[in-house]
Order: sequence, then structure tokens, then C-alpha cells
Amino acid sequence: MKIAVISCIHGNTEALDAVLSDIDAQNAEKIYCLGDLVGYGPHPNEVVNRIRSLDIPTCQGCWDEDIVDGLNACDCSYPSQLAEKRGKLAHEWTDRVIEPDVREYLAALPMTVREDNLCFVHGSPNSQHEYLLPSMDGFAALERVLSVEADVLFCGHTHVPYVRELDNGSITVSLQQSNGGSGEAKVTQQFAAPLKKIINAGSVGEPRHGRPNATYVLYDTDTQQTTMREVPYEFTKTCMAILESGLPPIFAWRLARGMEFAERADDPSHVCQR
Amino acid sequence: MHWAILSGIEGNVEAYEAVLKDIQRQKQQVAVLFVLGDFVGLKGDNQATIERLRSPRPGELPPQVCVGWWEEQCFSLHGLSGSLDAPELMEQEGGEGVRALWNSVPREAVLWMRSLHFGFHELDCLLIHGSTLSYADELTPETPAIQLCDRLIRADANRLFCGRSGLTFECEVFPHQLTSSVTTLDGAQEPVDQGKTSRRVVGVGSVGRTQGLATYTMYHSGSDRVTFKTVRYGQAKGFAPTSARSSVKSRK
Amino acid sequence: MSDSSIVVVAGPSGSGKTAWIAQRLAEATQPALYVSVDGEAISVELAYIGYRFPKVRLANARALPQVFDELAEPTVIYVEVGFSEDVQELSLGGLPSHRVAVLPPSLHHSAWHDWADEIVAGNEVAIFEPHKMPEVWTMSLAGQVFDAPSLDDISIELTGGAYGKVHRMKALVELPDGRLFYLDFVDGMPGIEYGEPRVPQWLEGRPQRFSGIEVVGWNLEGDTIARTIRDGCLSNEAIAHYQLQYKSQSSSSVPQAAQ
Repeated sequence: MKIAVISCIHGNTEALDAVLSDIDAQNAEKIYCLGDLVGYGPHPNEVVNRIRSLDIPTCQGCWDEDIVDGLNACDCSYPSQLAEKRGKLAHEWTDRVIEPDVREYLAALPMTVREDNLCFVHGSPNSQHEYLLPSMDGFAALERVLSVEADVLFCGHTHVPYVRELDNGSITVSLQQSNGGSGEAKVTQQFAAPLKKIINAGSVGEPRHGRPNATYVLYDTDTQQTTMREVPYEFTKTCMAILESGLPPIFAWRLARGMEFAERADDPSHVCQR
Repeated sequence: MHWAILSGIEGNVEAYEAVLKDIQRQKQQVAVLFVLGDFVGLKGDNQATIERLRSPRPGELPPQVCVGWWEEQCFSLHGLSGSLDAPELMEQEGGEGVRALWNSVPREAVLWMRSLHFGFHELDCLLIHGSTLSYADELTPETPAIQLCDRLIRADANRLFCGRSGLTFECEVFPHQLTSSVTTLDGAQEPVDQGKTSRRVVGVGSVGRTQGLATYTMYHSGSDRVTFKTVRYGQAKGFAPTSARSSVKSRK
Repeated sequence: MSDSSIVVVAGPSGSGKTAWIAQRLAEATQPALYVSVDGEAISVELAYIGYRFPKVRLANARALPQVFDELAEPTVIYVEVGFSEDVQELSLGGLPSHRVAVLPPSLHHSAWHDWADEIVAGNEVAIFEPHKMPEVWTMSLAGQVFDAPSLDDISIELTGGAYGKVHRMKALVELPDGRLFYLDFVDGMPGIEYGEPRVPQWLEGRPQRFSGIEVVGWNLEGDTIARTIRDGCLSNEAIAHYQLQYKSQSSSSVPQAAQ
């Protein structure tokens, strides 16, 4: 079966519509969504209503969580003080315009969605705020896939798509037997992991790969083939809507350049202690 | 340099006194004393323990103290953390335990506890109560290999000293091999082998959890040698001096 | 005074006038005086020259003839003329001067050519018609300390055209570790150039020394730039927090050499 996985739409209906058309044209049978339906963009209600009307299985993103629970992102998850101040402006704007039933829908979204050996999350199985960057240590990345007992982990949140294969994983754990000696050690665990994958779906509404085009991925469950899609759309319409809605104009400027301004921690695996 | 590392006093000030005496009796002079959290609990006198930690006697080492699971429960009870009313404590100890902890630690002491670190990075070691994932993360030799490996990588250290399990153990984790291949919009990158050298997780024992029997850890940074110490005290004390005797404890 | 010499340096914005003078000052054996004539009260390059060459005297153009009179010893006087100033109007009190124009190599005819004694090949920058002359926007940053990642964001946006088309940006900025940086951007040249004048680290509250930014361009949204800069600068509490950290870090190491 061919599935499409979309993520990080961020209130951008123009981009979402273009991606949905492309998914149609690619003959995908089912769509999954990894959250962040709202935030930064001008059409949060419309995006949520579109996803709902299409009955797309969706997990909760960090922005969806924040809109429900109050601003929850800690300082440490923003790349700069400026980004944090802008993030707060976007949050306040979205919080103001969001409709009650949309908020309810976002509140009810699950953290993870499962389908056989596939698992879908927004950031990581640990947290919607954790970034699984392609540069993350392989063993740490493998731990995330194994923690949900999946073969393929789909994630978003970084806004740049990638496919990562982790193969031939091998770890030995041995317990020191004699107190204080380094000679005697008893092997207690021999760990070996077969091929696991992490597939990042990129971002529909706020791409960050340096071009304004929307990104998402196709995955064939029979052949295990992944295709990263880059879809041009009329981003200038979204930019105009940002300017007209009273959101900070800089969001439009960055959107047009594929320089999304989402939160990004210095330490990508940092999980806030709040 | 020799470090003495302990955890889990849990208010058992008698056990802590016995361990301090044992540390003083050691042939090697201890340069640093680490207390990896859980110094309050339901095993004795929390106020006396806090007093003892905050005001070492003349000639004693000022302990380097970080917070643990029990201190986090105090923060929760006093509204100083994300969750309220310490649900974890309620589940483990019930209402009785919640009341006892609330009554035995004054707010002023909780505020002092709040100023303590979450852990310590020293040389290539991380000293922490649970792990960098959480104060509640309990590592034992039976923890799945990939999780032990992940905690060491998160710790960004070759040695991870932790106290949550209360056990003394020294575990070598050797992530030999892992092939990682990344493909982006720009194409496929060369596969990389991410195998690395071995690291260790050390459980430092528990001072106060078991009445009459305290365990703690000595570490010599120069030789990278870990030694576990067992101290019997109070009525359970044996016939022979036991400070030099020690054993590797594993679960069950 | 009679043994002093005057070098007047002119040219379009971003051609490399200050860089040319800085090179002379770095090699100078004689006392030197640097005069900036750009009509602005805040002059980033005046301060930059001051930080880089503490022995060089500085003066603003308005005080010119008087400053000349006060020179006690033979001095080389460098007068830098801003791109928007008319070289013909410059009054040097009738003193003889050597006129240097720093110009893009592809420019062959201009008022600068007619005026200059010496032509120096500078950066390949654009020359603007009088009616398309860019505007200059300046802001004092005295006492402000940037959050470093925010400074990166602002530099990228500003030079990328988010707040109007920018031809030139130069700035002296303070960072939380007490260091002062010089940022220099010229449209058409690759990237932003960074310099670090050798000044003492400032780790005691808000820095009490000059820092500022000067932007040359068109349709500049000054208010938005100013607001963005303020959003990227640290609060008193944050500054104190960083300074405490850096002080404890550097206490065991050798303090940075102060000049």
C-alpha cells in the first residue's frame, strides 16, 4: 500500500491544498499527519477543518499542544531570544482566532499513531518538542525507534525531510564481577538490531530547506520505498494573508525563502524538565 | 583524586553519619564528596539530614549535592515544579507518605533544595540521580542495552554515576557497530559506521534505604577504578569491622 | 603643524575607504589623526578606528580647523569623506592635501576622478545616480548587549532585504561574553565580514562604550529594524546572568590583555 505522510502545516491552506492534489496525482491510498496544524500561518481553523473532513489520522504537534495547554514550550526550545518573542506573538494570535471546536479537536489528538510496524509521532516518541535531526547519534536515534517497537518511525518537527536507515546495530553489556577489578566481566546482554528506519516528512506549510516549496513523503509498505516530494504552490498568497492578518510580516518574508522560524533547541535531544 | 559518591540517604541521618565515618577511615584521602539526591525521604529525620548537608562540621568536606526523586516530590508538593500534589509520591507511598513528607521538610529547606543542581559534569563523568532523561529514570544492569547506550550518549560522558535504583553495580556498555545512511532532498550521503568505544554506567548504592546497611561508591579518577563500600551500623552491626569489606550488589 | 600632512579619502559607499586608511594606520610610525566627515552624529567607523588604533586621535569634521591648530607634533591626518558628502565643498582651512579616491575598478570617469591625486582600486560596488542615492539609517546601541543567535537572525534578515534593500551595513555590537564585534556587509560582496577590535572584555553591567549600527539602503523600515534589534537585545537580568557565568569561567585563566 502506498501511503502519504504530511507534517507541520502551520495554518497554510495554500500549501496544504497543493500537497493534497499532489498526493491524489501520486495515487496514495492513505494519508497520515504528524501534527503542527496551527501556528505561524494565517489559516489555523481552515487547516484543521480540512484535515478533519478528510478523516486523516493525525498525532498532536507541539503547537497543537501549546494552543490547548497554554504556551508550553520552554525558553530552551527556541534558537534565539528573537525567535522566542516572535513565537509568542504567533501563539497569541493563533490563540485568539482559533475556534472552540478546533481547540477541542487538537486537544483530543493522540501523541502517537500506530499502523502495524509503522509508528507516527510529531517530534519523537519522548516528546513533541524533541528534534530527531539526521545528525543525531545513531544509537540514540535507534533507541527512539525501538522504544515504540516499530520498524519505521515517521516524524516531523524539523521541517526538513530525510530518510535515515540504521542497520547492523550491535551492543554488548557486561557486568563487572569483582569489586573494583577490571579483569572479570560477565556479558549480560548481547544486543543486535535489524534494519530500522526514521522517515522525516518535512513541512507542508513552513519548509526550511531553503526553497519555498512544500515537502512531504510517500512510503510504499510493500516495497519499503520512500519518496520525498517537493511541491511548488502559490506561497505569495499565503504571504499576503500573513500580512493582512496582522501576524508579524517577517513570517511572510521567511516563508518566501524557505527559512522557517520554528523553535529549535541548541541541544536537539533536550527534553524540558517542566 | 578519590571521590566518594553516595545517594539515597532518605532522611536516615544515622546511616549518613556511619558513611561519613567510614569515608574518614579510608586510607585514601577523599577529595570530593558527591550526594546524588534522595537525601530526604521517609527513613528518618529529614530536617537533621538537611542540616547536616548544609552545615558540614569543621574538617569535613562540603558535600556536592544534587536533587533526586524525593526532592522532586517536595518541589511538586510546594508548587515549584510542573506537576502539582506529587502524583508519583501519592502512587508510591499513599496519602500517609505525602503527609509525612510535607510535614518533615519546611518550605525554607525546599527553596534551598530548589537551588541545587540537577547533576554534575566532572572530567568525563556525569553524576546524577536518575539520568539526563529524568530524575525518575531507573538504570540497572537489566535495563535494555539500547537504553543504557542512549542514556550514556545523552549524558555526553564516558562514565555515568547514578543512584535511582539504590543498587551498586558497574556495567560496561560497548556499542560496537551501527551503520547509518541518510538521504535528503539533495541525495544520499555516504553510510557512516557509528560504533564507538565502551562506556560505563555505575550504580552508586543507597545509604539509607535499607536499615542497618548502607552502600556507597569510591572512585579514583586517575586509575578509573570503582570500589563499592558496604557499611553496617546500628543494631544490625556485625562483629568485625566491615568498612573494608565490600561486595557487588545486583538486583534480586 | 607645518610638518603635518593631510590625506583626504573619498569614494562611493562600500568601496573600502576605511579599510584603506586602517591599513595605513596599521603601518604608521608617525602620530596620526583620523577625521570622519559623514554628516552623522553617530559614526561607526570613527569608533571602530578608535577601538582598533587606540593611539590614533579622532575628530569629527565640525571641529576641523581648530583640531589642526592644536596639533603639537607632526601628524598624518586622514580625512574620510562620506559617500554623500560633496568633495568640492570640503573645507580644510586652505591646507595642502593629498587626495585619494577609493573606487570600483570598473569605474573610469567620475567627479572623484577629476578631484583625486591618486586612484585606489577598491571593492566592485555599484555607483548610484544622484536621484537614486541611498538613505542612511543609524542607531546607537550604547549599553545594549545582543543575544548572539538573535544577532545572527537580524544580520541575515537585514542584509537579505527583509526591512528594505540594504546596500551597506556596518555595526559595532556587544556580546554577552563581554566582547565587542565589528560587522561589515557590502551588497555584492560575499557574506558579512567580522572583526574583533582588541578592547577589554566588558563584564560589569551594561557596557559604557560606543556601539552602534549604520545601514545604507533604500526604503529602509527604520522603526521595524529598531524594534527587531531591541527584541534581540538582552535584559538587565540576562546580562547579569551571563556576566556571572563568564567571570567564573575566566577567573582561573589569564585575563584578556587590556591595552
